[in-house]
Amino acid sequence: MATLRDIKRKIGSINSTQTITRTMKMVSASKLRRAQEELEKIRNYVVKMEQLAGRVLQKTPENIHPLLAEREDIKKVLIFSISSDRGLCGAFNINIGLHVENFIAQNSSFHERIAVYLYGRKAKDYLQRRKADIVKEWLDIKKINQTIVDTIASDLIEFYTSGAFDKIYLAYTRFHSPVKQTVVFDEFLPIKTAEESQGIDYLCEPERNKIVEVLIPKYVSTKIYNALVESQTSEHAARMSAMENATSNCGEVVRYLTLIYNKRRQESITNEMMDIVGGAEALRGT
Amino acid sequence: MNVLNFEIITPEKVLVREEVDMVEAKGVFGEFGILPGHAKFLTILEIGEVRYMKGGKTTHLATSGGFAEVLDDTVMFLLDTAELAEEIDIERAKRAEQRVEAALKEIPTDSSEYKKYELALLRAIARISIASKK
Repeated sequence: MATLRDIKRKIGSINSTQTITRTMKMVSASKLRRAQEELEKIRNYVVKMEQLAGRVLQKTPENIHPLLAEREDIKKVLIFSISSDRGLCGAFNINIGLHVENFIAQNSSFHERIAVYLYGRKAKDYLQRRKADIVKEWLDIKKINQTIVDTIASDLIEFYTSGAFDKIYLAYTRFHSPVKQTVVFDEFLPIKTAEESQGIDYLCEPERNKIVEVLIPKYVSTKIYNALVESQTSEHAARMSAMENATSNCGEVVRYLTLIYNKRRQESITNEMMDIVGGAEALRGT
Repeated sequence: MNVLNFEIITPEKVLVREEVDMVEAKGVFGEFGILPGHAKFLTILEIGEVRYMKGGKTTHLATSGGFAEVLDDTVMFLLDTAELAEEIDIERAKRAEQRVEAALKEIPTDSSEYKKYELALLRAIARISIASKK
């Protein structure tokens, strides 16, 4: 049975845990604000880029660019999954891991090989334990920059055009609001344009093929950049709400333990009093 | 009179979003101008200058390239980077020019590094010339 002192120690330890979680929550909140600003900027650009690509590529025959051509026989599939390097952010990383794992489990009989291309330590830990086929991993990235994005983009394009993979999926967490983030699992390469976009007969300078050649790599790296920023923003949001929950749970536990502590204390005082009274009674009898 | 809805969007921010009378920029085949009623048009922009006129006032910008689309009097420039002439730090651009020029003398002309520096030089020159127009 826990003694009074044990309970007291426990309360102290939970209080200091609460201080930590509260601080982490506040740090995440400020990081989230900054990430959200950055996300807003890039989203504007991405939306316009998608619209433009949709209008341009809709009327472009598939055989003009290797990244547009859908392959008939899909043997080898790659999943580019984006997670974070650090935990303590609720189900954020598990969700990505689960999506990828489920996809592999459901589709492994249709394809010869399903491999993963990883960004973030947590997804790697998760998938490695489950014996996933890992092609390449990006760990401990402090800040997303253009060089990283360009390297990833050229890696993926190379994988597709060389025939190492016939289809590439992209898995990341999309940020909707500080309380809502969802996992997006989409086909990434070959490029699919939105159905609703209308093809336009432009006057092109230089000819359309040349423009498409420049536009496609730009489009791919913009999409990757956006996915990374989305994921990072979601991570901060997920951590903020996880820490918020942890903080309030700590408060609850402390309240409960304090109640028990007081009860015990009172009990022991009562017992002592009874002892004294009993002892006095016994002495008087002699 | 008709006007053009002009937008300049970079990954950094929406730099321009307003109604203008005319837009001029440098495409792969040289400078071009866009007036209201222009045909649907798509081109790749080079490193250089973007100008737009509004009510007799001309605004100059430096860009490092991107895409330009004209669609029913809507002009959209999707640029990698763009700066208003007033925002350019001319001292920094001049320093960059000198640095790159020095570097260009040292490396072989056929390396991929050379191309990169050449582009950096073009950007610096564009910045300097546009900054002087403000």
